[in-house]
Amino acid sequence: MQCSTRASRFAGQAGPGKRFATTSGNPVPRALIGSTLRECRRALGMTQARLAAEAGISASYLNLIESNKRNIGGSLLKRIADILGVPLDELDGAAERRLADDLGALAGEPLLADLHLDPDDTSELASRHRGWAHALVRLQRAWHDRGRAVSALSDRLNQDPFLGGAVHSMLTQAAAIRSSAEILMYIDDLEPAQRQRFLAIVSDESVRLGQAAQSLAAFFDGAQTGTRSMTPVDEIDDFIIDRDNHFPELEETATDFRAAVGIVDDCRESALARYLHDTHGITVVTRPTAGSTATGPRHRASFDAESRTFTIPESAPRSTRRFELARLAVQQFRQGRAIDAALMQATQLSSDAARHRARRVLSSYLAAAVLMPYGPFLEAAQKSRYDIDYLAQRFGASFEQICHRLVALHRPGAAGIPFGLMRIDAAGFTSKRFPLPQLAVPRHGPACPMWAIYQAFLVPGTVVRQLVEFPAGDRLLFIARTVEKPRPAFTAPRRVVSLMLVCDALYADQTVYGDGLDLSSSAPVVPVGPGCRLCVRRDCLYREEDPIINA
Amino acid sequence: MSVLIVEDEPHIVESLSFILQREGFAVSSAADGETALGLLHAAPPRLLILDLMLPGINGFEVLKAVKSNPALATMPVIVLTAKGQARDRRMAEDIGVDGFVTKPFSNRELVELVRTLARG
Repeated sequence: MQCSTRASRFAGQAGPGKRFATTSGNPVPRALIGSTLRECRRALGMTQARLAAEAGISASYLNLIESNKRNIGGSLLKRIADILGVPLDELDGAAERRLADDLGALAGEPLLADLHLDPDDTSELASRHRGWAHALVRLQRAWHDRGRAVSALSDRLNQDPFLGGAVHSMLTQAAAIRSSAEILMYIDDLEPAQRQRFLAIVSDESVRLGQAAQSLAAFFDGAQTGTRSMTPVDEIDDFIIDRDNHFPELEETATDFRAAVGIVDDCRESALARYLHDTHGITVVTRPTAGSTATGPRHRASFDAESRTFTIPESAPRSTRRFELARLAVQQFRQGRAIDAALMQATQLSSDAARHRARRVLSSYLAAAVLMPYGPFLEAAQKSRYDIDYLAQRFGASFEQICHRLVALHRPGAAGIPFGLMRIDAAGFTSKRFPLPQLAVPRHGPACPMWAIYQAFLVPGTVVRQLVEFPAGDRLLFIARTVEKPRPAFTAPRRVVSLMLVCDALYADQTVYGDGLDLSSSAPVVPVGPGCRLCVRRDCLYREEDPIINA
Repeated sequence: MSVLIVEDEPHIVESLSFILQREGFAVSSAADGETALGLLHAAPPRLLILDLMLPGINGFEVLKAVKSNPALATMPVIVLTAKGQARDRRMAEDIGVDGFVTKPFSNRELVELVRTLARG
């Protein structure tokens, strides 16, 4: 970084930058790149001879370049930048100019208009206070994103109870009008009294339809719409939701994998370890917990491709060990082609970060499909009436792994109950979400404090079930339980997450969790909401925050 | 042949009754789920037309009661939905509905469907 700062300073001096819009057209004088290269090379402790040898030029020629006596550019500059590990755009000042341009855009913010920021200063700010300049740009972006998120939330609320109700009544009125109008139109032998009657209906319903439309117009008056802010996690959510969290090609690969490895019934850890060893030359070792800390790097299972070693922490429970092995095994199986193919279809994923995360999500899906094959798992789920504890015993999996698998049972013609899923940590952060049409699991911020997922923290390890009703009238069954994760040492706080499965109340009688509850649609239930900001229950005892619309 | 209309919007009941009577059906109606369940058990009709958004016991629950009762399960049920949303349809299909009509429907469309299902 030292050397790139130096490069920037040159860029700042060199580019006179009269207007921010024109700075990007100014290349750094090539003469100055030589000094920057020298600085970068020295920062790495590399000799001139070695760099020259690696770049395939003579040391004396490199010396001329570094002394700014020879120009450098094109493929040689790129090669040297690669060897030095410095992005090319930092060497030639392009990164700096982009930063200056971004700052220039910031100067154009209407909110900052009265500060009369001089766009001419951006180059200097970008080169002299690079960190601060980045901070400003990042904050501006976050601010815009937040604004879009708020608009999207408003939009979402607009689609909630009032709008749904208004549209329903308008369609009902339209239905009454249409039906009566058709009678008037097409039935020739109507008696005068009947004719009068149907005309009256058309007239009445037209008035009501007009009123409903007016109230809708009033509701929308001033309401904003906007697009949602996207993060890698949001993109993956959208990808998974688009695919209904069901990947037939991965289910098929799981079947192939089981056949190839010779797994008949339960998939044992030893079979996976043997497959990894015999087919891929991978050795599985256990890493002792001693000496590791909560913030150290050594908690997760890790695969070292060079030494072909897969290391699993000693503290990992059996179900985790087996799952990690299965995930690595399916990643190795046929070079992970099935996962690659599924990823290829994920056009929503716009960044490498998102694709990297998505690959892990799909690997986990495939591992789960190997450990809990679709057919037997669905059958066991239906037979046990979705008893998660039973299924965990039967498949040697954790409570959480069973919940995840239940959310994937969407094979056309052989589907289980449509479940939604949510997972939060003790701070209320939502770390996993699969929504249902009736249930928007919040992306950001907390949901309704009445939800069973929060109540479950009060009785750790116990299943909490809850019948709830949302303001729009949707009735859902919540099934929540906390799960405690291993922690490396006494000094590490307990690591508890709360998981919740959600299904429509109409499916409750197909599960053990509906037993003993009054499931009729008129029975009293817990009146929940989507979270205070989006909730229309103004006088709720649990309200901590005003709604963002019509506060 | 008898048809029971379960719908809380009286004007729709009125126009539907009129056109179905002209087609020769004996039409009765109920404005809420409770009344509907009572009528269904007392005198099962040949066919049921059911609105989903009912006060009290909703249409889904009436549908579920019909389809889980061996004595009623073969009775064709047409669901009227103002929402026309995919998830309502899927839910009703899951429970075993025989036909859908989305508001605002045409009289002819509904009559055709009633005739087809009542004949079958």
